[in-house]
Amino acid sequence: MATMVSARWRKVVRDVWLHKARTSLVVLAISIGIIGAGSVLNTWSLLRLVTGEEFHASNPASATIRVNSVDGELLARVRALGTVGAAESRRAVLASVRTERGWRTLMLFVAPDFDKRIGVLRHETGAWPPTDGSIVVEASSVDFAHVRVGGSLEVKIGDQTRTLEVAGIARDVGLPPGWMEHVVYAFVTPATLATFGVPSQPNQLQIVVNADRLDRDHVRQVAYDVKALVESTGHRVIDVDVPVPGRHIHAAQIDSLLFTQGAFGALALLLSAILVVNLISAMLAGQVREIGTMKAIGARGPQIARMYLVLSVALGLVACAIAVPLAALIGRGYAQFTAEILNFDIRGFEIPRWSFALQIAVGALLPLAAASIPVIQGCRVSVAVALRDVGIVETSAGDAGFIRRVSGLRRPLLLSLRNAFRRRQRMILTLLTLATGGAVYIGTRNLRQGVIGSIDLLFAPQRYDIVVRFVKPHAPDSIAAAVSKVPGVARAEAWVAARAAQIRDDGTMGNTFAVTGTPTRTVMLELPIVRGRNLGPADTDAFVANSRLVEEDAAFELGNRVKLMVEGRPVTWTVVGVAESGPSAAAYATRAALMGMSGQSGATLAVIAATATGSASQFDLMQRLRSNLADAGFEVESGQLMLQQRAVMQDHMIMVVGFLGIMGELMIVVGGLGLASTMSLSVLERTREIGVLRAIGAKHRAIFTMIQVEGLVIALFSWLLALPLSLPISVMLGQAFGRIMITVPVTLLPEPVGAASWLAVVVLVSFVACAWPAYAAMRVTTAAALSYE
Amino acid sequence: MTNPIITIRDVTKTFPTAAGEFSALVDISLEIAKGDFAVIVGQSGSGKSTLLALLAGIDRPTRGEVNVDGTPLHALRERDISAWRGRAVGIVFQFFQLLPTLTAVENVMLPMDFSSMWPPAERHDRASTLLERLGVADQANKLPSTLSGGQQQRVAIARALANAPPVLLADEPTGNLDSRTAESMLEVLASLVRDGQTVVMVTHERKTRRFASRTITLADGRIVASTNGNHG
Repeated sequence: MATMVSARWRKVVRDVWLHKARTSLVVLAISIGIIGAGSVLNTWSLLRLVTGEEFHASNPASATIRVNSVDGELLARVRALGTVGAAESRRAVLASVRTERGWRTLMLFVAPDFDKRIGVLRHETGAWPPTDGSIVVEASSVDFAHVRVGGSLEVKIGDQTRTLEVAGIARDVGLPPGWMEHVVYAFVTPATLATFGVPSQPNQLQIVVNADRLDRDHVRQVAYDVKALVESTGHRVIDVDVPVPGRHIHAAQIDSLLFTQGAFGALALLLSAILVVNLISAMLAGQVREIGTMKAIGARGPQIARMYLVLSVALGLVACAIAVPLAALIGRGYAQFTAEILNFDIRGFEIPRWSFALQIAVGALLPLAAASIPVIQGCRVSVAVALRDVGIVETSAGDAGFIRRVSGLRRPLLLSLRNAFRRRQRMILTLLTLATGGAVYIGTRNLRQGVIGSIDLLFAPQRYDIVVRFVKPHAPDSIAAAVSKVPGVARAEAWVAARAAQIRDDGTMGNTFAVTGTPTRTVMLELPIVRGRNLGPADTDAFVANSRLVEEDAAFELGNRVKLMVEGRPVTWTVVGVAESGPSAAAYATRAALMGMSGQSGATLAVIAATATGSASQFDLMQRLRSNLADAGFEVESGQLMLQQRAVMQDHMIMVVGFLGIMGELMIVVGGLGLASTMSLSVLERTREIGVLRAIGAKHRAIFTMIQVEGLVIALFSWLLALPLSLPISVMLGQAFGRIMITVPVTLLPEPVGAASWLAVVVLVSFVACAWPAYAAMRVTTAAALSYE
Repeated sequence: MTNPIITIRDVTKTFPTAAGEFSALVDISLEIAKGDFAVIVGQSGSGKSTLLALLAGIDRPTRGEVNVDGTPLHALRERDISAWRGRAVGIVFQFFQLLPTLTAVENVMLPMDFSSMWPPAERHDRASTLLERLGVADQANKLPSTLSGGQQQRVAIARALANAPPVLLADEPTGNLDSRTAESMLEVLASLVRDGQTVVMVTHERKTRRFASRTITLADGRIVASTNGNHG
């Protein structure tokens, strides 16, 4: 051993052991940075892999064309088109399903053969494909529907109700998750559908283009050719949906979310690097004399620098050993959560190795880079300076003019205040680290309030509590009359729900969106118009677009005349207003304008305001409405409580805010560690001074309080600094959230409760961070301090 | 003097202070022969420690030339001076300056690590031999904090001799020791001189002069006396 490891490396190892607390702090600082950034990197890399592989493996449809019916001959002709690589047909039927919490919307996919080549389904458990008389539930709907394999589901189509055995569970990665959409997706055979007296002829054509699959314009052109072919055979096209090629429908939002979190992760890493600078400075400050001695006996600056830099890398690698597995665990958990939003399953997939390699490289190199500045500075110190016995160090204590002018305080307090400003560069770094953590903390609190406020705004225009959707259109007056008879209904209106898509100049079609037709003098909806005007009785060829629709396609800008395909019929309407919106593109027209489209001669929705406000009584009302309306001959497809919809939306969004908040908390921990290291360093540098204080009569408590107050001064300044710093962070978070979810109003003032709770947090952080340095200072004895060499 | 190992010519060293420029050394010229036990004496503030710092290359003269073992220190670049110091001089400090986390033998091996003058496999044996020569072989594996002042200073001398430097510089080596231990320490240095080692020692204790082959007295930064032979 003696000849294996040279004395200088033994010194390095023993120094690490001697300064266990400080070394642990360095490792902890790097670990936290890597955990923050690594978790997000792992999530992102795993999701990219899973969504890429699973989504592409499913061979997603390039376009879906909704048609009144598809027969074998039509399918064969579509397949014969040179630009079409594959084509399949299926039937999608809207139905209802009874769950533990009442009737829910059921989307049934029906096909004679589920051995699909487009939108390939993945068998999860139980039987697959469905047999006659059984049903297979889509994986993302299982929890929402409260079903299990071997159980049964009561399904209602029109006035026919059947109980089907749940044979298995399959996953369709191309569908938005059922739990989020409040829809149960399931698969049955045509024979099963026939038992409900419903024709099983397909009504959807799914195609995959032959070439240039990732060129959306090309796909649109091919879809348009198919539409033309379908129409030439006497069939009617209702709409054409061309999603962004090669990308899951929610991929952009997830990228945006992870990018925002990644930015915070990187910030946490940067703050931990600042902490490493502080800690390595502290380590070197305690070893100036030893560095001087080593130089005096022949060590060159680079030789000494190498010792500390290798140590930094080694500490980084130790931190990696702790942080990389933890980041993998957190990253995997978060990826699982995000994958569920996207309707993917990460089981069977591993975090890519390059992600670990990158974390280890950063973990090793970050402390090296951070340490290089203090190490180079420390190793430059001349032997003469290093060995000079200087006694109490005269630094720029109290040189900051305003601090020097502070007077009238008790001397110990004055000493704490002036000491806090003694090493201004270090103090500023600590202040910035803590303040950034605080700013993110306040920023996420602001965002949370903003999100709740936005959801309030989103639901405020909706003056109704329940929406009932009918299978067939009915005369508006008859709906209103039937609904009003049910006890507990305060008001009711009959609306029309339709689907529309833009017809472009080249004949291709844009994405479909929902259009809602309301009575012109509706009291149930007060659209939050941001530009233009609301609809009037004369607006038979006009509509109001929501801001999400305008964001997605500038063709819907105010004043434009837009060619639309509404329920299969071409119309040209003018955008007369733009309304604030939720996360989905939507539009509003008058009920009169929408009635009659696609042969609908009536309304398809009833919106109801309840006399009671509680969710239980509203749920009871909805159940009675379904029952009474069915008895009166109105076939109900689904019913929905707005309270429930709001709760699900809020919970989901707050969950996303919560994940952003975790990054803020991580940064506060890094800030606290920064304060702890700064105070430790301060105590170490002032050992002699503390000895003098003790010599002139300072008691344990006075020394302890002096260090605690010094930390508190920094903490309070960081609290103050965090307030203005939180504003740009709030704006950034709000904008990012707006891209991902819903528009959040910009908050120009820190939320008062957030600011107050940050004050409480920072005081607590300061107390905890300064506890050890204060205790260490308290233990300094006069004799030891004054013979300090 | 023929063949001097140390030559100082017209050296002035000034320090800037708040009260203006302070001259620690003024136009000093001095030669020390190989094998001398030169003792530099003077009162506090006379400039003796500054002179030793110039000889060790720890500080640089404001004016003049310093040559040690044929190397012009005043012309050496900062980055080269540490390497030179590791080979050419050994330094003994008043407060020993042993590294607290290394054992005695490891402290002695450390200069060899930095200068690579001995193959790694030989370093431990050489360090042990030096400790034995200084009479502290039995303390080899102990940490400095467990050693007495005298033992620490012996280890420090062993460390100073690690790379067999032509010149040993000692700055108040007995200043932190009791009189009996100080006496034995001076005998150690004298025995080294008898074996051909050049030693330059700074002290303010007059009784140490009896070991010296040459005594240089400084006052207010100037040499006021330079005598050969023992004066004990």
